[in-house]
Amino acid sequence: MTFSLNLSLSDLLLLLPEIFLTCWLCVVITVDFVSPRLPKERLAYLSVGGLLATLGCLAWFDMNQVTGTLFGNMFVLDRMAIFFKIFILGSTILVILASIEYVDRFTLFRGEYYALVVMSALGMMFMASANDLLSVFVSLEFSTLGFYILVSYLRDDMASNEAGLKFFILGVFAAGLFAYGISLVYGETGKLVFSDMASAPATPGLIIGFLLIFAALGFKIGAVPFHSWIPDTYHGAPTPVTAFLSIAPKGAALAILLRIFIVALGTFKPTWIYLLVAVSIISMTYGNIVAIAQRNIKRLLAYSGIAQIGNVLIGLAAGTKMGNDAILFYLLAYLFANIGAFAVVIAVSQAIGRDEIEDYSGLGRRSPFLAFSMLLFLLSLAGVPPLAGFIGKLYIFIAAIKEGLYTLITVGLINIVISMYYYLIVVKKMYINEPVDPSPISISGSMKVVIYVGLAGTLLIGIYPQPFTDWVVAATLMFANFVAPAATVTPPSLLIGG
Amino acid sequence: MGEYALLYILFAPFAGALGLIFVSNRQPTLVRGIAASAAFVSLVASLYIFYGYDPVQGGFQFVQKFAWSKELGIALYLGVDGIGTPLVLASSILLFAGIFVSWHIKDRAKEFYIWLLILAAATIGVFMSLDLFFLYFFYEMSVIPMYLLLGMWGSHTKKYLEMTDPEGLKQRDSVGFIFNFGSNSKEYAAMKLVLFLSAFAVAALMGILLIYKFSGLNTFDILVLREQANLMNIPVLGTTLDKIIWILVFFGFASIAPIWPLHSWSPVGHAAAPAATSMLHAGVLMKLGHFSIIRVAFEILPETTRELMPIAAVLCMFSIIYGGFVAFYAKDTKYVIGYSSSSHMGYVFLGMAALNYISLSGAVIYMFAHAMATGMLFAMAGWVYDQTHTRDIPSLGGLSNKMPFISGCFIVGCMASIGMPGTVNFVAEIMIVVGSWNKYPLQVIVAMLGIVLTLAYLFKMMRGLFYGPMNQKYSHAHDAVGTVDRLPLLMMITISIGFGIFPMHLYDVVRSGVDPLIARITHVVPVAETGKGFGVRGEATAAVRAPEVPLIVNGPSSLTPDPLRRSE
Repeated sequence: MTFSLNLSLSDLLLLLPEIFLTCWLCVVITVDFVSPRLPKERLAYLSVGGLLATLGCLAWFDMNQVTGTLFGNMFVLDRMAIFFKIFILGSTILVILASIEYVDRFTLFRGEYYALVVMSALGMMFMASANDLLSVFVSLEFSTLGFYILVSYLRDDMASNEAGLKFFILGVFAAGLFAYGISLVYGETGKLVFSDMASAPATPGLIIGFLLIFAALGFKIGAVPFHSWIPDTYHGAPTPVTAFLSIAPKGAALAILLRIFIVALGTFKPTWIYLLVAVSIISMTYGNIVAIAQRNIKRLLAYSGIAQIGNVLIGLAAGTKMGNDAILFYLLAYLFANIGAFAVVIAVSQAIGRDEIEDYSGLGRRSPFLAFSMLLFLLSLAGVPPLAGFIGKLYIFIAAIKEGLYTLITVGLINIVISMYYYLIVVKKMYINEPVDPSPISISGSMKVVIYVGLAGTLLIGIYPQPFTDWVVAATLMFANFVAPAATVTPPSLLIGG
Repeated sequence: MGEYALLYILFAPFAGALGLIFVSNRQPTLVRGIAASAAFVSLVASLYIFYGYDPVQGGFQFVQKFAWSKELGIALYLGVDGIGTPLVLASSILLFAGIFVSWHIKDRAKEFYIWLLILAAATIGVFMSLDLFFLYFFYEMSVIPMYLLLGMWGSHTKKYLEMTDPEGLKQRDSVGFIFNFGSNSKEYAAMKLVLFLSAFAVAALMGILLIYKFSGLNTFDILVLREQANLMNIPVLGTTLDKIIWILVFFGFASIAPIWPLHSWSPVGHAAAPAATSMLHAGVLMKLGHFSIIRVAFEILPETTRELMPIAAVLCMFSIIYGGFVAFYAKDTKYVIGYSSSSHMGYVFLGMAALNYISLSGAVIYMFAHAMATGMLFAMAGWVYDQTHTRDIPSLGGLSNKMPFISGCFIVGCMASIGMPGTVNFVAEIMIVVGSWNKYPLQVIVAMLGIVLTLAYLFKMMRGLFYGPMNQKYSHAHDAVGTVDRLPLLMMITISIGFGIFPMHLYDVVRSGVDPLIARITHVVPVAETGKGFGVRGEATAAVRAPEVPLIVNGPSSLTPDPLRRSE
């Protein structure tokens, strides 16, 4: 594979968001070094400003349909990449706003915190655009590098260190698997770009290679059986980092999974559908059942996140254009509900200092606003109308039932009921139990912004989803050519459907 | 305003709930005022559609259609027929009454009214949905407010307080909570209600999704599906697909009705709920089940309904007898009324199972009648509980000295519940009995036995509460004297007796909805009446309303999708 590096300025326009954010990252670090006495809050707003500008640029790209490829197809900016970049930047902005207060808990390196968050976001933006196995690997490791540090940021806290270590060891292991998978795939096909592999024959080496790649990405999204790092890491990491970890990397990894499964492996759908159905069923069921026994809200949200990923994989198993739309839509719903729920967790832990579910007793009396917001976010995660999560789940189920995945939908529907149980346990604590300490809880302004954005998103997507469905449908348009025709999937779907 | 009446009914409570968010709990008058005026708007508009509904024309009237999601084929498609109209009216009457019944609520009154309004609006939404998606949307939406209403403002049963122990408090969280069947705490009741109803609701959702998939029409529009969906004779798992869908839909929705083996959440829920919630719960929430079965199973799968509806005929006997006997032996006022409700819902299933013009009309009128009767009883049980803080019948007695008005109304409520001539319940019961006799004589005999049982347990409870020696502990109890306290009871009594004496308009409206449905299911058109006497008006017979004719008035034809047009 050869490609020339004679880039024109108009080509570089496609890279403008990344280039701008890289420069902005340097500005943030420089400002922190140059004036160490500057309140760290300002750095947060400085980072948010840069991210907002990048977001605006991407929105402009989306509206004017600025798309294209660079570096011999290594880097692709299509509308799906733009969608995921907006998704990642949106979650980053909300996470930074939610961490302003929390950062005071760090003993050292408060300024670098923001720089590291922006750096991870930058890595994930490259992930969203990665179109061949090498750029996937590089951008994946680039974004994870920032997370390794962020997770263990509470350096005096044993739990945070444990979380970091666990995340690091398993993450490096996953990276090893990924590299090995790439070598096998390249050895079999001699290709690295996804779209070139579409016609490759299914040799054992190729299958094992892709299985290894799937394992590494499964680690990123936290699907069972690659989930073992999730509960401890979510529990030990600083809560804003947990929030970040639970949303943005999952989105970025799903962008890659979509490209691999739909573009590179679209013709093998009858084979990989079994893998996805199995992983999806196990993730949903395991995540929801284990979540019941949790006593810590962060662990509860961690297991609920595992279950949510199982739901997302239903859409991937459908393997159609509509399935992809549904995944993107579901991620939007998940973004607002999850960031909102974590924002409430941060606000409560700022006031109480602990994250046990027990501590949520009487939150409805101590802070009606926080309790009401948490109620809506949890119900959205559970999938209750008229909230975003309900439409997201239904979208995925409709996409799946069109492909005849009856078993998967049945399991998904049963899991809605199971998940309702543990979400309602938290609701019971907040509203029905009486508070131990009835003093009201105060919320900072930036935190309020995050919660309001979460509420607005959760309600708006649930009540009027048309603009959002239009957006996600447009975002996956380029997959229309790659999606396997419906006729070829009949035999497996009959088997699975029973 | 005429065409938009359904929007007013549906969105006034939502608007009220939204408005209440911005009001402080320190202004109780304003809070109640907003809630009451939202309910009032809904009530007036419901009365307007009830009397504005033209039974001669029949079909779906006051239709509103807004495109909601093109990709999924969903539209906010509202309209009422002869079956939905009385139920919408019943819901808004009970909402309005419920707000006055809970007038004296002190603890977090604002939140209470918010959830009550959302509950009622979601219920009303189901009764007017012509889109399967929105039917399910509102159905599921009505379940969650119940959790908070029960949990926050409900009450424990007597036994629960004896069983409470320090260890038990911890056990009732997470895993231990599920296995703690012994304690009927309000938390337990709320959780059981939500999980039970959600579990069966997702079964119904599976049925709806299968209808969506196999109709291949890419729409959730009930009117299009019932004309064009061909779901018959698709072999699946040794049976046919339509049967599987029917079973999923029937039992999914029958759980809220509640039909016999699926009833266990309901009395527990009634007992734990505050008075206004019990009223809405027993009065209209349970009817969501019957209504959704009629709307989904009867409309879309008429052939299968004819084949499988005997299931309901068998189960309804158990509902009637089991509910009646438990109510007779129950010692808790709300358990008695709760089990009586689930017993009476058996009559509705009997009326539906007979698939006959008279019996199904009777079933629909019974839903309306039962809403009024059980609403009264729960309102009064709530009043007695507020005054005495107990629901234990043996410890009460002689309250008629202290509350003559309530005890007088209670007699009327009991009479209505039994089906005394002069109340609308009588009209409904006689229609169910007459209509079902030819097909299910055994069930009719059981139903008569059920009426005797009703008499027995309601009189037993009335004697236990209001007559006999008075427990001096409750000498401070006082009667409902204020207008605010008397209004809801008087309103429900007036409506119950009013329609009992003048049932003709109600009957015409219901018949206009039932006739085309039964004609589709049984392929038998009713004997045309000449326009005089008991029966359908001459010009409104099924010949005019054959199912081939689009049953839409003042709206776009159901078969020509025209999502952006608003009917003017």
